[in-house]
Amino acid sequence: MTGIWAQAALWLGLALVATLLSIGLRVATALSEIVVGTIAQLLIGAALGGVLLAGDASWLKFLAGAGAIVLTFLAGAELDPAVFRHKWKEAGAVGLVGFVSPFLVCAAAAHYLLGWSTDASWLAGVAMSTTSVAVVYAVMLEFGLNRTDYGKTVLAACFVNDLATVLALGFLFSPFSLKTLVFVAVAVVVFAILPWLTPRFFHRFGGRPSELEAKFLMLCLFGMGALASWADSEAVLPAYLIGMVLAGTVGKDHALIRRLRTLTFGLLTPFYFIRAGSLVSVPALVAAPAGLLVLLLTKMLAKVVGVYPVTKLYRSPDREAAYTTLLMSTGLTFGTISALFGLSHGVIDEGQYSALVAAVVGSAVVPTLIANAFFMPRHLLDEAVDAGDPMPPVARPQPSARRGT
Amino acid sequence: MIRKILLGYDGSQAADDAFRFAVELAKKYTAELHLLAVARPPELGDDVETEAVIENSRRHYDRLLGQLDARLAGEGVAAQAHVVVGHPAEQIVRYADAHGIDHIVVGHRGHTLFERWLIGSVARQVIAYAHCAVTVVRTAQPSAQAGGRQ
Repeated sequence: MTGIWAQAALWLGLALVATLLSIGLRVATALSEIVVGTIAQLLIGAALGGVLLAGDASWLKFLAGAGAIVLTFLAGAELDPAVFRHKWKEAGAVGLVGFVSPFLVCAAAAHYLLGWSTDASWLAGVAMSTTSVAVVYAVMLEFGLNRTDYGKTVLAACFVNDLATVLALGFLFSPFSLKTLVFVAVAVVVFAILPWLTPRFFHRFGGRPSELEAKFLMLCLFGMGALASWADSEAVLPAYLIGMVLAGTVGKDHALIRRLRTLTFGLLTPFYFIRAGSLVSVPALVAAPAGLLVLLLTKMLAKVVGVYPVTKLYRSPDREAAYTTLLMSTGLTFGTISALFGLSHGVIDEGQYSALVAAVVGSAVVPTLIANAFFMPRHLLDEAVDAGDPMPPVARPQPSARRGT
Repeated sequence: MIRKILLGYDGSQAADDAFRFAVELAKKYTAELHLLAVARPPELGDDVETEAVIENSRRHYDRLLGQLDARLAGEGVAAQAHVVVGHPAEQIVRYADAHGIDHIVVGHRGHTLFERWLIGSVARQVIAYAHCAVTVVRTAQPSAQAGGRQ
């Protein structure tokens, strides 16, 4: 066990470094964990050999996989069922456009511009088709749009977008067989029963220090994950769906969600994201940077083409529409999950995986930098003071037109 | 005449100094004091974590503003407190515009180089974009008294 404890200490040490970096730089911990994983693999691998990080150890793969599953569940549980029911038609249309546009464009770019195989290109399409619901949610809160029809539609559309991504990942690469039918049949029954059973079960036995709630949810997630894997699908598919069907019950139990987040961010996801980063080959990226650039640019372009017209359809002001569109291009969690699925199932090779993960990381960084550079502070930009003024006057007279005084 | 004062509060020492200054100002002009805290999502965010950060930050600021409310109890100043989400400078200016604020008070605190490069200092941006007078309160140094710059 000494070796395992030492490796665990090393990985958690890296996780701690990544967390400190994320606090200092005010970026998502997931992002810094991926980057730290990549750099650690590069440095430690070069200096001491790749065995020390041992990203393929079975215990580590379990922790990483559990991290992806629980994180996906939590992402699904963020859904607001009332909004979704109210806006499902519009959200369905916008979300599908948000998925299909980058999915097809990026898959075509990977196939025709980068010369990837058909399966690898589809996987690239899936990995680049995601969006980040929470990032868009934060934007909606900033603009005060989360209570408007427009904001609700965009948020619900992000869920549809991610659901389409997860469904594509779960079914596109699995052979359709009897196993698939069994998986789907069991899943339908479980998803129908869980929203009824879970709150009653928790009400009867929950609320104790033994954390029955967490154990029950883990049982559901791992059980359905095992069934999905048995059917050659992906374990995050049922996890996301379980999150969605329990969003109206478990998702509203903030104390439980916070406890699950503690488990997830404190132990599980560091292994997942650092492992995802450690599998990136920097030499392969440097040798063939075209993959990263093509995928990143096509994703951003496809999101703009697909999402911007929709925001304009709702008469969103230009700058808010552009800002929302840019931030809908992010999608770290499902992007890396898709890429890792492709690598572990032999759909893509190490070089393609590296390009995909780098593009996914780029899609979390570049659109935000652009948005902040050109749209900050967004609602007042038109009245901005001369950018060349190094330190504007400390007190500024109040323009009468603005207040009508 | 100053009728409504807005204090941008983040719980830092500088913000605490700004709070004391704003209370004095509010008492002097019998003005209404608006306390605003801004929960900031990560600059470069990701799914579940961004939501967690916002929730955590909101809870934190709710608690801090509750403490300020308690401190204001005996001061005889009419006050209201709000927590919003976004970039501090933008939300402060936005709130000031929406609520007809006459005077904004903010503390001045250091930022990392990365933060400055990414979004600039909060005080600097508020000064640049606010449509009313702004006071930046610097934290007291051991050798000199703190002073408001207006």
